[in-house]
Amino acid sequence: MVGVVLTLAIVVPLGAMWWNSLLPSSYSVMTMGYPDYGGGPRPAGHDPAADGHDMAGMGHASSGISVTSLDTPKGLRPDVVVDLTTSEGTVELASGKTVEGYTINGTSPGPTIEATVGQVVEVRLHNEDVEGGVALHWHGVDVPNAQDGVAGVTQDAVKPGQDHVYRWVAPHAGTFWYHSHQMSNEQVSGGLLGGIVIRPATPEPGVLDQLAVSHLYDSIATLNGDTGHQSVPARPGQRVRVRVVNTDNGPSKAWASVPFKVVATDGYDVVDPTDVTGKGIGIPGGGRADVEITVPEDGTAARVEVLGGVGFDFGPSGAKAPSVTEPEEQVDLLEYGSPADAGIDVSHFDRNFEYSIGRKPGFINGRPGLWWSVNGHLYPDMPMAMVREGDVVKFTISSHTGDVHPMHLHGHHALVLSRNGKAATGSPWWFDSLDVQKGETFEVAFVADNPGIWMDHCHNLKHAAQGMVTHLMYEGVTTPYELGSDSGNEPE
Amino acid sequence: MRSAYKFLAFAVAGLVALQAAFMVFAVAGLGIWVDEGNSLTKATMEADEPPDFTGAIGFMLHGMNGMMLIPLVALVLLIVSFFAKIPGGPMWAGMVLGFVVLQVALGIFGHESAYVGFLHGINALILFSVATQAGRRVATAVPAGETPLEASAAR
Repeated sequence: MVGVVLTLAIVVPLGAMWWNSLLPSSYSVMTMGYPDYGGGPRPAGHDPAADGHDMAGMGHASSGISVTSLDTPKGLRPDVVVDLTTSEGTVELASGKTVEGYTINGTSPGPTIEATVGQVVEVRLHNEDVEGGVALHWHGVDVPNAQDGVAGVTQDAVKPGQDHVYRWVAPHAGTFWYHSHQMSNEQVSGGLLGGIVIRPATPEPGVLDQLAVSHLYDSIATLNGDTGHQSVPARPGQRVRVRVVNTDNGPSKAWASVPFKVVATDGYDVVDPTDVTGKGIGIPGGGRADVEITVPEDGTAARVEVLGGVGFDFGPSGAKAPSVTEPEEQVDLLEYGSPADAGIDVSHFDRNFEYSIGRKPGFINGRPGLWWSVNGHLYPDMPMAMVREGDVVKFTISSHTGDVHPMHLHGHHALVLSRNGKAATGSPWWFDSLDVQKGETFEVAFVADNPGIWMDHCHNLKHAAQGMVTHLMYEGVTTPYELGSDSGNEPE
Repeated sequence: MRSAYKFLAFAVAGLVALQAAFMVFAVAGLGIWVDEGNSLTKATMEADEPPDFTGAIGFMLHGMNGMMLIPLVALVLLIVSFFAKIPGGPMWAGMVLGFVVLQVALGIFGHESAYVGFLHGINALILFSVATQAGRRVATAVPAGETPLEASAAR
């Protein structure tokens, strides 16, 4: 008898926890968690988003703005048209080696999308045979919500044989990238990605531009699909801008055999960058760093190296570049460059959100384990940050876990105000992907100027697939799209 | 029930032995892979799939066996002990579960401190001994009211 009671005392609570953790076969991001108003005003009366529980079941929302209408103005004539065809199979690296993965127009990385600020970019996606479906997300490009490319939130995944057209106005000059946001962990790892370069209306003359998309294919480190150090012809004295994109889950780093300047991070220019020697620049997963060097006058080549034993040698053909060991120290963006007006009034915040990353044992969709938690909650019961258009928002992000987490917010760039209590004193540190180490606390701010439902997640896509995903919700915005096994949408 | 208890206790010990084997399989394979000219970076560690070398699967098996299978077996052992009528059975099953929980905790925190990893190694052997002893003593432990002769006749 005692045995039966004890057994029930163990099995029943575990069984209940297991049962409660199972995800419904179809659910909406609007009800994925609990609303967190950040100390700011709650909606007056009926908030369609908070009542999404009933709405989602009805398959439509009777009031509120749908994400489908938060879109690029219709009828704009595209300036840049790109056709992208996604396919599943083998990727052939430049070295000739083949790996299992995904290609866009037959290659991985896919074609680079290039445009000038203000141009209308049209991307015609055709999914040839990627069985799980695809969706394209423009990482770092703050597009209107309907164009964000998140399966289950802003669109349904594009199934094999189907098409989808994206149209957005290039908002800001810088280095960005695009990647799948359907089954993103597997597809991005498999190479369903490419670079995006948006140039200013009047680019600086005489600077050689080099894109460096860093990606691991089956543990083989590559830049633009090629291993080792690639030679790029450049004149002595020539300025070169290397746009390094970190498409992997862990932090990367870039350094050079000559002094270099960090001229931009995450698509935003650094004010008064100074020469860096003996240090590298850290690049969070998903992030970018634009590094500028000058080719030496003495006829030798300069090497820009990225973690993994890959790099570019810039110099006259036949010139040799010295090998350069990875520096231990890194540039501290908190102090780098000169301060300038960032354009946000941080004297007062409309919303204050805590985002505390930890680990908690429990069940997620029936599987037991030690899972990532945000503010003590496990997926899908995550905090949903609720804001109104125009709000000045502060997030205090802290991590209490051993792994580094590259935190990525869609649709917005945020400004780092402080790290571990130390205020930012350098150039305004704008980011869309920020590495948070164990024990670190960052205070960051942004203006809620892009209405929609925006994913806010760890860009270590393994962690995202394990539930480290939350989202930012603007008051009154609804989505007709759903997640769950019935929907075919699986953004992570 | 008694034989179920015995089986489960020895199963925990066997799975712990497998844990040690998986880990060295993986680490040895990793050493060979690096010797062949490959490099292990943070990016390789965080990649979706582990690098392709003999033994790589050892890391994943060690994690899954250690965090899911062994705790499950230890839990079932405890539940079985409530019904197996072995004197001291629940206590020993409780000890096995306790050392399993400790081992999992040491394994997780071992990712942050190598010294904790050291303790994880020692505790593995303690756990192995406790699980083995829990199984072995079933043969000689006699339920209340039976004489040793009756107990062995029943088997």
